[in-house]
Formats: sequence, structure tokens, C-alpha cells
Amino acid sequence: MAQSVEIGEIRLPVAEAFRISLENIRRRFTRVAITTASVTLGIAFFVSLMMMASFQAAAGGAGIQPYMYWLLFISLLVCGVGITNSMLIAVAERYKEIGTYKCLGALDRHILEMFLMEALLVGGIGGLTGYLVGLVAALVYAIANPGVGIANAVRAMISGNPSIPLGNLMPASVALFALGVGIAVLLSLIATLYPAYYAAKLNPAEALRYEI
Amino acid sequence: MALRYEYTVETEDLAKYYKMGAYIVKALDGVNVKIRRGEYVSIMGPSGAGKTTLFNMIGGLDRPTRGRVYIDEVDISKLDAYELAWLRARKIGYVFQTFNLIPVLTAIENVMLPMIFAGVRREERIRKARELLERVGLGDRLYHRPTELSGGQQQRVAIARALANDPAIILADEPTGNLDLQTGLEIINLLRQLNKEKMVTVVTATHDLKMIDVSDRIIYLRDGRVERIETRAEIAVEAEEA
Ligand SMILES: Nc1ncnc2c1ncn2[C@@H]1O[C@H](COP(=O)(O)OP(=O)(O)OP(=O)(O)O)[C@@H](O)[C@H]1O
Ligand SMILES: [Mg+2]
Repeated sequence: MAQSVEIGEIRLPVAEAFRISLENIRRRFTRVAITTASVTLGIAFFVSLMMMASFQAAAGGAGIQPYMYWLLFISLLVCGVGITNSMLIAVAERYKEIGTYKCLGALDRHILEMFLMEALLVGGIGGLTGYLVGLVAALVYAIANPGVGIANAVRAMISGNPSIPLGNLMPASVALFALGVGIAVLLSLIATLYPAYYAAKLNPAEALRYEI
Repeated sequence: MALRYEYTVETEDLAKYYKMGAYIVKALDGVNVKIRRGEYVSIMGPSGAGKTTLFNMIGGLDRPTRGRVYIDEVDISKLDAYELAWLRARKIGYVFQTFNLIPVLTAIENVMLPMIFAGVRREERIRKARELLERVGLGDRLYHRPTELSGGQQQRVAIARALANDPAIILADEPTGNLDLQTGLEIINLLRQLNKEKMVTVVTATHDLKMIDVSDRIIYLRDGRVERIETRAEIAVEAEEA
């Protein structure tokens, strides 16, 4: 038998993977919204806790305590497990679709890329909304609490704060924004790694057998 | 390009066993078939005969327990994951009973997908997808999503998608299984027309006797073996002349 295969290139440009992920998010809005909400809550907790503590410090109070990092670590861990769970469900929902992509020529790494791209967007959006929610919560706390007050809050936000990571380089509010979005994206990516890998490794014949 | 090859598909002693605890299911057990370029072949057989398993082997979707599959004279068991993906994208078009369109993408985006993987330029993708959708009668449904299409229309999109990269073969596993009789016949006739028009080999599985009139040959499968092969000589001659 002749063995003259001229194997050409197989590719999925990043722009196309991005477009597909965006469509997935738009069309499967409810599930994605729930995943995003989990990120939002985690980041809102992080941002509000840090801000409230720095407001207190500006008002002459205690400020950021080491135990808070422990609290934050645990809350983000819970949040990450939630994302993993939700992404595993997303993969199960799409068994047949993953099998179909593979029939059309997708490589394992293309499936991985599609899910990670989705995680990136979920993380980005969740981080952004989480920051806003956390900020509002902290401001409400400052206004409602006569011992703190809005003046101290604003002063704490616009000045640096060495007890916040990055806080010695930029105003505390900007540092928390960068941290919040950064952590959200990283968390979402790490939490999606296993589900995305699992999806990528699915045998196409098995994946196609799956009924809905 | 495909003109060089006499046989699009060839299997040699093809077998697939599934282990179910201590029990072994012989889904395929020594299948030898040769399918010529441009042929329209129906695989008939009762449920569990091994039709889907045979498609998975021919389509490079699963590895056989024993034996070989050649597509355009290439032994596909020798291909690595990258080469297999290329084979699936360029050489094989798949049509499924459940249509399997990507639900979040429009009809034209679904048809463009295999061309993205094959590295076709964007303008060419759009032109080709449009042309194919017009050919299957969906020129006015380009931007509809699968949920906005009937079953028959979805299957037409799937057929257009299967043809996107001018494959050597279309594998259609019970393409009419979820369609009513009339729509099913339309789909079969469309496959037959495209088979003649584009000289693309078509292999379909079915257990519906009404669907096999158009076939050049019918391979009867039972318990993972070829029971008999029936040739429709008169139809084959007609196809040759057309
Ligand atoms: N992944 C699997 N694990 C175990 N057994 C399997 C698997 N896939 C198929 N089989 C078995 O192999 C045999 C052939 O199955 P196959 O799906 O190929 O039949 P089929 O001819 O396509 O049937 P149908 O007309 O119902 O689609 C059956 O007995 C089936 O139970
Ligand atoms: Mg079957």
C-alpha cells in the first residue's frame, strides 16, 4: 500500500477560539452567570475586607490583620472549587459537542484552549464585578460607621498602603483593583484546568455516544 | 487530487472488542470491505450489528482491536493524533443521526468550522460556506442557529458542513433516524445527488429498507460480521453514465 500522506496544517487561530468562547458565554448565559457570580462573591469579599481594614487604619484603628489572609485564602479556595464543579458540569453538557469538534478536526489542545478562554473571560468579568461590589460594600460600611466616615475612606483609597500587596507602588484602591482582577483570572484558570484537560482528552467515539 | 485512489476505504480483518467485565462484546469481528471512490454504499443491519462501531473505525474516531483501515490507501492506524485530526478535517465528512450542529453557532459558522481547522482563509471560508448552504437549499437561513431550524434543515446544514473541505468520503450514521419519512427521503436524495455531483464517496448506515434504493451497494452487517453484499448493478451503471 502506498503511504504517501501529505499532512497539512491544523489550526485554531486565537481570534476564532475567542469568538467561539464569547458565543458560548452569550448563549449559555445562565450557567456562565452562576459561575461568574461565584468569582464575583469571592473577589468582593477580598476587596471589601481589605478596604474596610484600610479604612479603619486611616481612622486610627487596627488595620489589616494576618488572620484576614487566612480567611481570604479559604474563601478563594471555596470559590475555586465552585468554579471547578461548574466547569465539570459544562463539560458534561457538551460531551457530544466536544466529540463533534474533534470530528471536524479539533486537536486536544484546541478543546483545552476553548475552555480556558471561557475561564479567562469568566475570571475577568467576575473580577471586575467583584471589585465593584466589594468597593460599594466597603463604602457603605464607611458611611454607616460614624467611627470611620467617608473622609477617612477616601483618604485610605487614594494613598498607598504597604500592608496590601502592591500597596506601596500605587494607591490602595488601584492596587486592590489589580489584585482583585488578577486573582480572579488566575483562580478561574487554575480551577478550569482539570475540567478542560478532561474534556480535551475525551475519546471522540465515546463522547459522541453520550446522549445529551 | 483524490482521483489517484481507486478505493476510498478498505478494511482488513477489522475487529473491535469491548470488555464488559468478564464478558467480551465483539462489536466488529473480522470485517473486510472495499469501497470504491465515488460509490454510494449503505450499511444495513439490526440494532447492535456494529454499524456505528464500523463508522468510528473508518472515521478515525476510535482504534480497532485488530485489523487495519485504509483511507485513500493510507493506513490510519499508523497516524498520530495530529495526523488523525488532519484526516478528520480534510478527508472525512461526518453526518449524524442527531445532527450535532454546534448549538451556539449559526448555520454559516457551523459550515465554516472545519475550514477554520483546515486553515482556509476567511473570505474563502465565507464564500464556500455560502455556496454550500445555497446548494443544500438553505441560502436564506445562513444566520439562523440550530434551534431556529427544523430537523431536516439542521441535517442539511450538517451535510454542507461535512462537504466543507471537499472530503474523500462522507460517513452518515443513520442520517434519517430522527426525521419523518418524507424529509428523510429528501436528505437521502440530496446525499445521492451530491455523491454524483462531487464524486464524493458516501457511506450511510440505516435500518430502513426504504432508504437503500439509491445505493450502489448494500453491505449487510450482523453480529459484527459482513453477512452479504448486494450490488445494485443497474444503479451503478446509471451513476457511471451520469
Ligand atoms: N463503548 C462501548 N462499550 C461497550 N459496548 C459497546 C460500546 N460501543 C458499542 N458497544 C456494543 O457493540 C455492539 C455494536 O454496537 P453499535 O453501536 O456499533 O451497533 P449499531 O449497529 O450502530 O446499532 P444501532 O442500529 O442501534 O445504532 C453492541 O452490542 C453494543 O452494545
Ligand atoms: Mg448505531
